Amino acid sequence: MSTEVTAPMSGNIYEISVAVGDDVKAEDELLILEAMKMENPIYAPVDGKVTEIKVAVDDAVEANAVLIILD
Amino acid sequence: MARKQTPLRPYFEKMSDIGKELSEAEVKRGAKNLEAVAEQEALIKAEETRVHEAGIPAERVRSRGSMTIYDRLDYMVDAGTWQPLHSLYNPTENEEGCTGVVSGMGKIEGRWAVIIGFDNKVMAGAWIAGQAENILMITDLAKRLNIPLVWLTNCSGVKLMEQETVYAGRRSSGAPFFRHAELNKLGIPILNAIYGTNPAGGGYQGISPTILLAHEGANIAVGGAGIVGGMNPKGEIDLEGARALIEGTKSFHGKTPGRAETHFDATAYFREVHETEEGVLDGIKDYMRMMPAFDAAMFRVAEPAQPKYPLEDINLILPANQKRPYDAMQILARLMDNSEFMEYRPDYGPEVFTGIAKMDGFPVAVIGNNQGIIADYPDYADGEYPGVGGKHYRQGLIKQSEFVTLCGRDNLPIIWLQDTTGIDVGDAAEEAELLALGQSLVYSIEQTDIPMMCVILRKGQAAAHYIMCGPQANNNNAFTLGTPLTEICVMHGETAAAASYARRLVKEDDEGRDIQPVVDKMNQMIDDYRAKSEPAYGAKMGFVDEIVSLSRLRGYMEAFAGANYQNPKSITPVHQMLLPRAIRG
Repeated sequence: MSTEVTAPMSGNIYEISVAVGDDVKAEDELLILEAMKMENPIYAPVDGKVTEIKVAVDDAVEANAVLIILD
Repeated sequence: MARKQTPLRPYFEKMSDIGKELSEAEVKRGAKNLEAVAEQEALIKAEETRVHEAGIPAERVRSRGSMTIYDRLDYMVDAGTWQPLHSLYNPTENEEGCTGVVSGMGKIEGRWAVIIGFDNKVMAGAWIAGQAENILMITDLAKRLNIPLVWLTNCSGVKLMEQETVYAGRRSSGAPFFRHAELNKLGIPILNAIYGTNPAGGGYQGISPTILLAHEGANIAVGGAGIVGGMNPKGEIDLEGARALIEGTKSFHGKTPGRAETHFDATAYFREVHETEEGVLDGIKDYMRMMPAFDAAMFRVAEPAQPKYPLEDINLILPANQKRPYDAMQILARLMDNSEFMEYRPDYGPEVFTGIAKMDGFPVAVIGNNQGIIADYPDYADGEYPGVGGKHYRQGLIKQSEFVTLCGRDNLPIIWLQDTTGIDVGDAAEEAELLALGQSLVYSIEQTDIPMMCVILRKGQAAAHYIMCGPQANNNNAFTLGTPLTEICVMHGETAAAASYARRLVKEDDEGRDIQPVVDKMNQMIDDYRAKSEPAYGAKMGFVDEIVSLSRLRGYMEAFAGANYQNPKSITPVHQMLLPRAIRG
């Protein structure tokens, strides 16, 4: 079952901490979303494997945009 | 058989649990943070060692049969209770590397006292620049907490080569004598252990406390014997004058005035004279047992308990990267008894938390900044921007004012945990009355006559540093602590550089000139801001009263709570407290 990790707010992708194929555990840091001058970490909601990264560093994203897909 | 219990048990015995164990991922992520914390701790430690070793070597003092100030403190203060303050304070960058006094809080014979002593390694305890302010700050603490002040006097008087830095002025080295009189007037006892030669300023330092105990070699006097006769004042020293001075000094065999044979045998100012230095400190201990102090059971609302989670975890949780958010409840869970908290209005003003907790079994209030983005808040922004933890908005300011006022009613001492970047700005914020509500919080604090302590966990910026009971709250703030991650400045260096040079950049650019020199100045300003926002700089300048490792914060909080309840000026019967009922509803 796949899980979509979405942006909780609009902002810019500051850093991506994982690569496609990585196994991650719940609460692992996936990427950093810069918004309101803050570096907001986005964590894995569940254990899984990173199957797709839909953003790149410096991308501007809107709230609720899908960032990463875990399987 | 009699049945006994702590008061208002249904509210205080068990509060809501907060916090959770750190996950593997959090521990892993925190590794770099540990390095950043350790780096700052090492810098602070090196500074503390430098101050500790200021003046002549300790061994030279000991070889004369004397104890150093640190030996005296070690002997007198109950083991494990010493909480130093102002260790790095040296705002005028004295060549001595310190202000010549060592101060803090500690227990003596089980009772809390504010303790200060002259560093007898540094010019035999001379008055040097910054020292009077240091003394005034530490005596403020005794006044605020209503606990005894203990002096270890060993004061050679004015450093004559720099008299203009200490002698005159409203807050000069004479002001502490009035402060001692004020403490006595307020019923706060001052115990004085007197060592060495204490002429003039040292004499008043000796005579102004409440109880005087002396070492047999000590003296206190209006003036010393250093001013020798035989000089013919001409307005300058010529060779003839210098020769006369040499002869006068060689032939001077008078005794130092104000010795024990005068002030014990004749005037009877000294209550006790002891043959040994330790004996004087034993005398202080005897008097400390006479000091007013309630048994802790009088005010405790539960058995003391350590937090459920390790204090050291805070080094992993509190990000050194000032742009990173964190869960403030995870910090609180590692500071408060049994990791419990009774939160006041959690759904209102979510950028701050306010509530009651227990510290060493005593009830305390806590106020701090939550962190992270807060969606759909503040409501007055109408969705134009989200709330950011660390900033203050309308609801949060109202909540803090309400809470502080209720704490005053319930006599709950407040622990403030600051990590703030300021108060919201812009037209919407002005219409939401944030300017007035900030000052309203200042008024609420001033109107509330209870001790408060403040920890600048990370950022203390803009007016928010003031309104969250920063050290500027002179009548309430007992002391302010910094941490290895503290950064105190009016705003970030980048913001300040932009504000200062934006117009200049436009002008240079419009006129076709190279903007690089302006950019260089901006970066110079940013570097300067960074250097002057660091923990050690803040401690040196008195922005905070001490920089404390995150794992040692609770020790200061226990001291604060214990000292607050030792002999409070005002008492609210626990069963008549309003806040616990207001929280439960």
